[in-house]
Amino acid sequence: MKHHDEELRELSAGEISAICSSLAKGCEKQRLNAEMEAFNKIADYYKSKARTESGKTFTDIADLLNRDQTESFPAANASAQAAADRGALRSLTWSKKVSAMCDVLLKRFDKEGEAMLANNKIFICDICGFVYVGNTPPELCPICKVPKHKILEVKRG
Amino acid sequence: MPAFRNIRMCDKDCMCLYVCPTGATDTENSIIDASKCIAGCSACAAACPAGAISIVPDSYPPQQPKVKSVIATQLALVQSKVEQEQIALEIARSTQDPVTKQFATAIAKSNLRMAEDIVREAGYMLPQSVQARELLQSMLDSAPEGFPKDAVELLLKKL
Repeated sequence: MKHHDEELRELSAGEISAICSSLAKGCEKQRLNAEMEAFNKIADYYKSKARTESGKTFTDIADLLNRDQTESFPAANASAQAAADRGALRSLTWSKKVSAMCDVLLKRFDKEGEAMLANNKIFICDICGFVYVGNTPPELCPICKVPKHKILEVKRG
Repeated sequence: MPAFRNIRMCDKDCMCLYVCPTGATDTENSIIDASKCIAGCSACAAACPAGAISIVPDSYPPQQPKVKSVIATQLALVQSKVEQEQIALEIARSTQDPVTKQFATAIAKSNLRMAEDIVREAGYMLPQSVQARELLQSMLDSAPEGFPKDAVELLLKKL
């Protein structure tokens, strides 16, 4: 799959899926329901084609997170700053915070195991990906400030 | 430009019912009837004390241009977040343990939400943008079996 700019690398199935599910949300905001469904259908197709090799663990996720924090975020911040791209800088501020929270939770899960979630629920902000472990999610998302009806529980089983 | 009512914000002041010249705001399911709504009227939006009604634009200005280096560094992060999502999904699929499955599913969701947000700022903000159209077009070049070609064609026609 070619990106619109030939100089840029090809996009993976997983990336195309994320682009399409994101554009589906864009359609939802514009009340374009048929278009939203079409983008979601394409996103589902590419998601079904995206696969990672089996046998990977949470440690592999932590390694990628580490690379994000030491290389990818600084590089992205530098190019967004050089271009004075406020939108990109905003997205990086949010995802950098969410990434740091994921990192903390992965370390806790590694140490505490299932006890971490024994008496706790887990919630994800549907807008920015903020992760909350506990029983009462905040009124506003601490990262993107959306009201709590957009912070959704990930149920067990 | 039809009016849209955000039901969550509606305080049932019902001013929209008083001012609507066609009765488009008066429906049983609370969704404003776009077929009755008069383009450019917006009387309901102006009258609503709760600010629950907005006018959906017919067209949007072109997307903010993106610098190539920003697109590249944003996409590098998207690639990483999607990879983390895929690993988490694979852990969730292969484990027998419900707690590990729950935690892995949550990590996968969080990564997808991040990827979706970062990719918007890589030139995929508007569904009507040139970038989105070119991506859709390129999908048709090599459409394998099972590919939802009809969905792509619908989007290229309607957007």
